[in-house]
Amino acid sequence: MNTVITVNLNGNAYQLDERGFESLRAYLDSAEAQLASNPDKAEILSDIEQAIADKCRRYLNPHKSVVVAVELDRILAEMGPVESETGETAADSEGQRNAPDTPQSRADAPRRLYQIREGSMISGVCNGLAAYFSVDVTIVRIVFVALTILTGSLWILAYILMMFIIPDATTSEERAAAHGQPFNAQQLVDGAKERYAEFRQQLRRERRAAAAERAFWRGERAYEEVGYATRVVAGFMVPVFTLIGAALFVVVIIAIVSLFKTGGIFDWALPPEIPVWGAIVILAIVYQAVHMPLRAASRASYEASAGQRHGWLAAADGVLWLGFAALFFWLAYLFIPDVRSLFESVPFEWRHPLDAWHAF
Amino acid sequence: MAIDEKFSSIRKGLLEFLLLRIISADKVYVAEMLERLSATQFATQEGTLYPLLSKLRREELLDYDWRESDAGPPRKYYKLTAKGRTQLAELNRYWKRINTTIEELGHSE
Repeated sequence: MNTVITVNLNGNAYQLDERGFESLRAYLDSAEAQLASNPDKAEILSDIEQAIADKCRRYLNPHKSVVVAVELDRILAEMGPVESETGETAADSEGQRNAPDTPQSRADAPRRLYQIREGSMISGVCNGLAAYFSVDVTIVRIVFVALTILTGSLWILAYILMMFIIPDATTSEERAAAHGQPFNAQQLVDGAKERYAEFRQQLRRERRAAAAERAFWRGERAYEEVGYATRVVAGFMVPVFTLIGAALFVVVIIAIVSLFKTGGIFDWALPPEIPVWGAIVILAIVYQAVHMPLRAASRASYEASAGQRHGWLAAADGVLWLGFAALFFWLAYLFIPDVRSLFESVPFEWRHPLDAWHAF
Repeated sequence: MAIDEKFSSIRKGLLEFLLLRIISADKVYVAEMLERLSATQFATQEGTLYPLLSKLRREELLDYDWRESDAGPPRKYYKLTAKGRTQLAELNRYWKRINTTIEELGHSE
């Protein structure tokens, strides 16, 4: 059991553990000392407190009302040392070089390919590629349209594949990596974008949690019990979401292949005014619309069942997804004659891309 | 990085100029400034930015007003004052002169 200390950061109440409180006090004390001769000291300090408060909020959720020391240290590293403007150069470049977490030292942050949903037209593939290669997204889109025309709409298939393969940038860390940006600045922006309603809800929850805390250890225990039940349910839901997702994927892929081969989906022929590529785009959008809430739900389950560090669960879940998808393909092939004949009618090169490659 | 260090004091000195440029383009709040800078060699943290902004305000180069945001508590949106704009114009001219000087002295390999 740890003691919790409630602090007032520029009018916001936050709960810290003892060591976190010590680091915060040390940081603010040194900031105050740095700004001792600054006429705007009070205002700068309140700005700084507000920025720290905004960052704290990111680490809190319905099941977590206390900012722990490690998190607080990370926040303070993001903030960087507060510098007096007089005699800047000396103290300053020193501090910059010594702080392990300054943006400069991470200027070449790893760049990763992600789908970026914000400002996307379909799924964010073009958006992610644009960020990855640092080009305007419009150029990427034009290239994609050109490729679609040149390949006789086969490129749409490539797009859909990318939609499945390239991961989504859902956390601010991932969005930063998509642009190859240092994480902290991007995170601040994302933190600021959080909805005000959420913030107020959070405050209400914190107040309730603080009341429980006052009743001493009783509060701790209630939190544990509720947390455990939620975790069990969430842990059970993860594979269910995966199963539904894999089934959906298989259905969509079979429908697309069917569209390509027969110009319709099995017995149902396309209305003549809709071209095949149009039908594929519609299919992709419908898939995305169904898939998005599913993905969000499974992500929420990860977090509920494994907490902040759900990476291993996501990885295991990916393997599970592949297994389910393969299983469904196999079942469809075995038991649905239409699917079987469809796949047998697919040209040899499609079914055996490796052989085709060698023959080439 | 050695190169990084050689220019560290120059970067420091240019930060003020860059901030004026960023603010001149649009009304911005601190998170936006940090984001604009984050992808560049001038990546900065709040600890540096807030004191610098308050200094610029004391020099009457910029000012802010509070604006409600739908994504959190109200924010300070910064804008240039008339004095700030004239100063920025001067800085721009001066910077151009520095650039031509560098170009003219020797070859850039």
